Amino acid sequence: MIVQLLTSFTGALGFCLVFHLRRRYMFAASLGGLLTCGVYLAAASIWSGILLPTLTAAAFAALYAEFLAWFMGAPATLFLIPALLIPLVPGRPLYYAMYYAVQQDMDLSADFARQTALYALGIALGASLVWALADMRRHLKQNGFGN
Amino acid sequence: MNADKIPVPAQPEVLLHCLMDIAEALLAVGAEVNRVEDTLTRMGTAYGAVRMNAFVITSSIVVTMTLPSGRDITQTRRILTPGGTDFTVLEALNDLSRRCCADPIPLDELRREVAQITAEAPKPLLVYLGSALAAGSCALFFGGSMTDGLVAALFGLVICRLQRHFGPQCPNRLVFNLLSALAVGISITLCAFFLPELHADKILIGDIMLLIPGLAMTNAVRDTMVGSPISGAMRLIETLLWAGALAMGFMSAFLLMGGIGL
Repeated sequence: MIVQLLTSFTGALGFCLVFHLRRRYMFAASLGGLLTCGVYLAAASIWSGILLPTLTAAAFAALYAEFLAWFMGAPATLFLIPALLIPLVPGRPLYYAMYYAVQQDMDLSADFARQTALYALGIALGASLVWALADMRRHLKQNGFGN
Repeated sequence: MNADKIPVPAQPEVLLHCLMDIAEALLAVGAEVNRVEDTLTRMGTAYGAVRMNAFVITSSIVVTMTLPSGRDITQTRRILTPGGTDFTVLEALNDLSRRCCADPIPLDELRREVAQITAEAPKPLLVYLGSALAAGSCALFFGGSMTDGLVAALFGLVICRLQRHFGPQCPNRLVFNLLSALAVGISITLCAFFLPELHADKILIGDIMLLIPGLAMTNAVRDTMVGSPISGAMRLIETLLWAGALAMGFMSAFLLMGGIGL
């Protein structure tokens, strides 16, 4: 578990470098990777399955990114992508789905393909929920409601 | 919002051309379609347009700017490159547009700043380092050993090299993903054959992460859900095709290597 937390930090840092993120945002963005991984692990210990933990972690990552975007005055994407990529993007089930398809084990392949889809769905649902709320908040603010 | 205070520049065509440059640059560095449309609309209005009709999809930009005199100016831009990711440029352009909306700077200065921002390229060494770090970390994250992590990091360097030098030679991203997944799949399987202590699956999973179009997919979902569903759906189809090509490439590699008994 500690390995996973650490590597989601260093992995996010790696993606920050690849995506040419400014140095002053790097720590916050990489920390997002670690925290998202932590939330995922915590959620996975409460709920079984893939959808709910992924949804929770993605919602957390999007919330973290929106908060930092507000706090640092930069687009939320900068903080969201590094945080999401390592802990949640379903590289593993996608790989095994391909692997077993080639091995002609269609049952296992279909199972991993289903897992891949569930991860993707979880990320999309969790993040969209936060985006929709953040968007509505911006609109309300523009129209003079609340602050 | 400042329409009554800001005079429209003497050459509105030049202004619109400059706004199109900003929009094109934003798309090229990984901004959401929604953000591009929003930036066009806000900046046009800040510079005195009465109305901005911006329609952006990942392959085209169409803008009609209505001037206070009632005259309409339309410009379109065809976007041919699929777009990469450069968060420094994205952030700088976003910052520039915010500043201009609050207090529009002269047109010459705007053009100079845009040219300056888009000319800023990342240092190659850091991009290579990042690819190695990301791939190595992913391999470890998914349960690989330290050696697996190191080998994945080495292949991360190879993928980075491919993305920088082989990518631009390919007709499109689909072909690039297919061919690079094939090449990387074959090389890693061979490596694991000669060094049996390696876990080919963990190394491959680490390196797949570098090729998965994560940002484009996230933007596609974001545009579909809270932006413009049409543009989002177009990008979603594109990214699914890229991911499919990736899967095809790796599967072909497994088939080939399985065929010769590795």
